[in-house]
Amino acid sequence: MGFSESAQEAFNTLIRRYPIKEAAMLPVLHLAQREWGHITPEIMLYVAKLLDVSPMKVRDVVTFYPMFLEQPPGKYLIRVCSTLPCALQESRKIVEHLRQRLGVDVADEHDITRGTTPDGKFTLMKVECLAACNVAPVMMVNETLHTELTPEKVDEILDGLE
Amino acid sequence: MVQERRILYEHLDVPDINTLEVYLQYNGYRGVEKALKELDPETITQTVSDSGLRGRGGAGFSTGMKWRFVPRDITPKYLCCNADESEPGTCKDRYVIERKPHMLLEGIIIACYAIGINTAYVYIRGEFTAGKKILDAAIEEAYEAGYLGKDILGTGFDLDVYTHPGAGAYICGEETGLIESLEGRRGQPRNKPPFPAVEGLFGKPTVVQNVETLANLPFIVLNGAEWFTSMGVDYNPPDAEKPNPMLVNTGTKLYGVSGHVEKPGVYELELGLTCRELIEVAGGVRGGNRLKAVIPGGSSAPVLTHYEIDVPMDFTSLQSAKTMLGSGGIIVMDETVCMVDALLNLLKFYAHESCGQCTPCRWGTPWARDIVDRIEHGEGRPGDIEKLQDVANNIANIDTFTWETICVFGISVSWPAVSYSRKFLPEFEAHIREGKCIVLDRDEACVSPEDNYAWMKSQ
Ligand SMILES: Cc1cc2nc3c(=O)[nH]c(=O)nc-3n(C[C@H](O)[C@H](O)[C@H](O)COP(=O)(O)O)c2cc1C
Ligand code: SF4
Ligand code: FES
Repeated sequence: MGFSESAQEAFNTLIRRYPIKEAAMLPVLHLAQREWGHITPEIMLYVAKLLDVSPMKVRDVVTFYPMFLEQPPGKYLIRVCSTLPCALQESRKIVEHLRQRLGVDVADEHDITRGTTPDGKFTLMKVECLAACNVAPVMMVNETLHTELTPEKVDEILDGLE
Repeated sequence: MVQERRILYEHLDVPDINTLEVYLQYNGYRGVEKALKELDPETITQTVSDSGLRGRGGAGFSTGMKWRFVPRDITPKYLCCNADESEPGTCKDRYVIERKPHMLLEGIIIACYAIGINTAYVYIRGEFTAGKKILDAAIEEAYEAGYLGKDILGTGFDLDVYTHPGAGAYICGEETGLIESLEGRRGQPRNKPPFPAVEGLFGKPTVVQNVETLANLPFIVLNGAEWFTSMGVDYNPPDAEKPNPMLVNTGTKLYGVSGHVEKPGVYELELGLTCRELIEVAGGVRGGNRLKAVIPGGSSAPVLTHYEIDVPMDFTSLQSAKTMLGSGGIIVMDETVCMVDALLNLLKFYAHESCGQCTPCRWGTPWARDIVDRIEHGEGRPGDIEKLQDVANNIANIDTFTWETICVFGISVSWPAVSYSRKFLPEFEAHIREGKCIVLDRDEACVSPEDNYAWMKSQ
């Protein structure tokens, strides 16, 4: 197990930003998740070694932060916001529409699989406020934010993903 | 009709204003030039103090005063820019970061120069991937142009700025949770004191400051304290010898307005305009509907009924109204909203986000959620409302202004729970009496919004 060349380079830059290695934990875990899709026990061991900390410390962090996934998400991770401002703009309809279209349950960070389509293409996940309440309802597909959603708009977005 | 007063948001829509080249065409980095070349750190600190600038991240603490708590002789010191923006309803820092990242950098440079800091971290929420890329690019440009790095503008002042991504935990917006997170751990808030200004990041003096607070600095440096105090309101008597900083509400405020208005959006207004005026700026309540309630400062703020919206939007007035300006996230709810349902939504959020260190918060939050859940779903029992308020008051008490927890997250849970169930009591009671949601079901036989209004009015 090891970073690709470009990830290693990014790691080298990151580590220089902090007086103690451990402080690079979050950016390094993001880097690892981008590299391998999710955080496995092996990756936790690897990161622990890189940062000179105990593997338990890495696990402690991974389990605290919702963005670190211990199970592989689908190719497209759909994170729908369901907090109050989005709920006021009928985010429930958006979630319902996505559930029906994808035929899956809504996942949370503890159980990704139930929100993943059998072909591994999509994972539907509910998240809390994404700081885009003024353009609610919103969802993120991987790293792209989509705003002012309607069921029709959701269909268009999903149709466009291959 | 009230007008917006765009200072921070001026030129927000200019194409490519996020790049250094375009930013420079709009007076970019003049604040930094003036601060570093013409002013000494003490003068800047005094100007910021005199301006009355208060923190825009939630607590509204005097910025100049915060800087004065930092011991001068200890090095290194750190600045953490709080770009976590995770309080539901808050959506104003995003536009600063994505559209005018160099304005934020100017603020960071000025603050660091004034306090004597050589390293700053921007703690940016993990979901702001696009914003982080834009900010990283701006930082790179600033290094190349000599606004960051060694010997900035030949003044001998050195500064490094780095972005640090969060990973989806709301509590990392709390300043000591943020510091823990930056050090590579769970974002669990620390006991205070010691305050970060004395012992913060890596055990060193640290100033944590919100994006919007920092973005005000270049303008204050360029235009002076008097210009800044000409905007907003100051409730101190004009001849006060020692003005109380808690009565000062100068400058503008960025508001994210969401919910049931015609034009949800981000608006910049002078402090002290009323909540009613702000809603007007946002186009009024949608579809001619009647207003029911407004959350004036992010989801943690106690709710205002539509009878209370003539309150001026400033720190002092909203505190007197037993709520808060907080982060300036305004959530507007019209007559179609069920307040039990709205509270349930928020309590689910808080139950998900409690960091779990304190028993009242770890246990009380899901407990409160479950009580409201059963009320909303027709399984409420007599005594549930009292139970809810009791549980909430044991996390943090809105009447005595005390709390039993390490951080004020507890307040964010308790204050909404108590304020919603008090101000909309008939609605809560009717849910229990009728055994169902009376608003979403639109059952004529039940308490109508009018009954609720009438009751509120009679109070
Ligand atoms: C639970 C909780 C969440 C917070 N979230 C944020 C946030 O997302 N952004 C922010 O700037 N301040 C947030 N704050 C306020 C910070 O603790 C701190 O007061 C602020 O960053 C100080 O900066 P300022 O003085 O410039 O406002 C939060 C506070 C609490 C208790
Ligand atoms: S009040 Fe809640 S969020 Fe704050 S430290 Fe205690 S358990 Fe954590
Ligand atoms: S509530 Fe959905 S973005 Fe804020």
